[in-house]
Amino acid sequence: MASFTPYTVPAPTTCPAKRANLTARPPPTSQGLPEDDEDHAFDPRSPRSNYSLYPLEYLLYCVDCHQIRCPRCVSEELVTIYCPSCLFEVGSSSVKTEGNRCTRSCFQCPVCVGPLAVQSLESAPEASLLSADNAASSGPTGPWALTCSYCTWSSSEVGVKFDKPQGIFAQLSKIRNGSNTGPDVSLTAGDTSPTKREANLAEPESTRARFSALRAFYQSQLASSSTGSSMAGGMGDYGFSSPAALTRIMSIYSGSSSKPKNKATVMREADIPNEGFRPINLDESQAILKLRAGGYDETVTMAQAASQTEEGAHFADDLWPVASLLRTKRAKRCPACRHILSKPEAKVSNTRWRIRLVAGNHIPSVTIKPLPTPGVPPPNVLAPLKPIQYLLTFKNPMFDSIKVTLATPAKTPGRFASKVTVLCPQFTVGANSDDYDLNEVLKAEDRDQRDRRRDDDGSHQVEAGKVFERGRNWVSIVVEVIPATLQIQPTPSLLQKADEPDADPAPLREDEDILEIPMFVRLEWESEPSQDQVGVAPSGREKDAKEKRELAYWSVLGIGRISQD
Amino acid sequence: MSSRKQVKGEYIETDTGNKVSRKANLIGTQHIMLGGKTVIMADAMVRGDLTRTVSAQGSSGGAAPQSNTSIFIGRYCFLSRGCCLRPPGRIYKGAFTYMPLRIGDHVFVGENSVVQAATIGSHVHIAANAVVGEFAIVKDYVRILEGTVVPANMVIPSFSVVAGQPGRVIGEVPEGGHEQFEMRDLYKTVGNNIPPPAPAAAAA
Repeated sequence: MASFTPYTVPAPTTCPAKRANLTARPPPTSQGLPEDDEDHAFDPRSPRSNYSLYPLEYLLYCVDCHQIRCPRCVSEELVTIYCPSCLFEVGSSSVKTEGNRCTRSCFQCPVCVGPLAVQSLESAPEASLLSADNAASSGPTGPWALTCSYCTWSSSEVGVKFDKPQGIFAQLSKIRNGSNTGPDVSLTAGDTSPTKREANLAEPESTRARFSALRAFYQSQLASSSTGSSMAGGMGDYGFSSPAALTRIMSIYSGSSSKPKNKATVMREADIPNEGFRPINLDESQAILKLRAGGYDETVTMAQAASQTEEGAHFADDLWPVASLLRTKRAKRCPACRHILSKPEAKVSNTRWRIRLVAGNHIPSVTIKPLPTPGVPPPNVLAPLKPIQYLLTFKNPMFDSIKVTLATPAKTPGRFASKVTVLCPQFTVGANSDDYDLNEVLKAEDRDQRDRRRDDDGSHQVEAGKVFERGRNWVSIVVEVIPATLQIQPTPSLLQKADEPDADPAPLREDEDILEIPMFVRLEWESEPSQDQVGVAPSGREKDAKEKRELAYWSVLGIGRISQD
Repeated sequence: MSSRKQVKGEYIETDTGNKVSRKANLIGTQHIMLGGKTVIMADAMVRGDLTRTVSAQGSSGGAAPQSNTSIFIGRYCFLSRGCCLRPPGRIYKGAFTYMPLRIGDHVFVGENSVVQAATIGSHVHIAANAVVGEFAIVKDYVRILEGTVVPANMVIPSFSVVAGQPGRVIGEVPEGGHEQFEMRDLYKTVGNNIPPPAPAAAAA
């Protein structure tokens, strides 16, 4: 059973707020809701909802389109690529040549994922401690290994030792690809000359080296075959990267008679090891013996094998240190108007943002908590069929007062339909005043307190059409919920209506006992037309007068779990 | 910590706005530097006595009167109940020594969490029951979720969400989530109603 943690807190303003602020992604093109969506309510249980609900902090707001933008609809572009471990910035060109992993000494443990540190294998710290000349000793020496401080894995377990504690990546790739660094280096260098390859007769060990050997072999084959045949559109132009490939394809489709009738040289396949050929080892007796001796502990897990940079790790001694993957800083753009929504500073160490248009500054935050009833602690789980009242607080972050209109379906969608009543579906939330003057704010807060106290005197009544509580820039309203019962009684056939489908008698599915209310929020406000906005705004109402704005979106309120008894 | 107004309230409030619970275990207070407006709850342990041992001096705090602060804490930090701040230690030039633990501003340390990092940046949230291993470096705007074990020597870049045992980066802090690291409001919720005259200096 899933834990109840989000709902056990006494004032669940923080935890269900995670759910309460889940905001439906508005369609990226139209203001508000498309026509076909107006007919049916948003279903938080629909599998698609997972992809359109985001907590408020994940949402951005395009000030040009006046629309909420979610992580799914923004377009991202790289600002900086860096190593998350050594925090070194990596240029995009070197990412192209050297791959997406850190080429310094940042490695992750292949067993757990902890960071690996270079440690001396000849560690005799006790001896140096005791000896008098410890100041003279230049620290530990001798072979070095990568060790994990979390699971105490050491690269010496797989026989990987380093001569010096710097440049681990280069040393490791040297060890991995054998002493001849030729194949690996030449792979990154781009074109490989086959004459150089002929020099090393040893079988290329690593997958990478084998791949480059194979590639070099076939390139040389193609080159020789194309020079052999004088035909235009011969097989020699078979390279994917060659521009001749296009003409070859064109010649095929044009049906011209210039077909290669006789090939001068027949291409052969790679058949010796130094051409990259390796017969598959069908003799698994070694592996079986190893498995018998080492047992399950000697094998690798799926996750471990997947984290390896090269394929084919089956046993624990196949695990190599994993160079840490690079990470990026990204800017985000509005998909419609290409305006930048967020842009971090390019430097890795700088945590400031040049542009950060978050939705939290433009749409009210919604928090939900049970209506405090004196003497009765708020229940952890919701009792079925028992009305319970919740306080919904809207806080306006904007400097204009907004008119909020709420709508919920009378019954929540899903098998267990709970009844929902919003007691005050229409109200106005005051503007958020400028926080420049601290005294003003303090005064306002004082006023808030006084307002609240005055309200506490007795005018605090749960009444339809009335705001429960009101502050400078926030409003609390009451939502009454009658949770559904989770028992499924088959309706007696006499009472059953013809158009009503049978109740699904399936047992309770995962999280089906969570009561979630879809709520449609419509905001209306008037704001000063911004300067850069003139001419762009489709409304065409930009005058000296205030501009009327409107924003509408679905959101989902997570109330809690319904008791199962 | 010797206060004449023992009955005044749970917290000692200093001139710089620190609110330190009388039930907090602060050891080696002369080696602990608080930036101000920091809350230390009851049963939180701060091991200021584990100072850096210069050359061959003893590690007990009294033996080294020079300014070797072992724990720096910035402004608006919040140390919850039962958490422990402990400077990391290692063998350096043949001798074991502790290294200072630096904590930035707006850092929350959850209940029963142990922090042995080398550096914690600003705007870091460490949830309850987490362990931050020795010499870990946590950058700014990092959220360490409940029960995480950050391995020793790990570097956590900015805007990371970390979870798991061992801890790994599982996500990014969204653009709109930066304000949640702000600790000013939490600071205001703690303290005595009547602030007593500050008994101690800036050092704890």
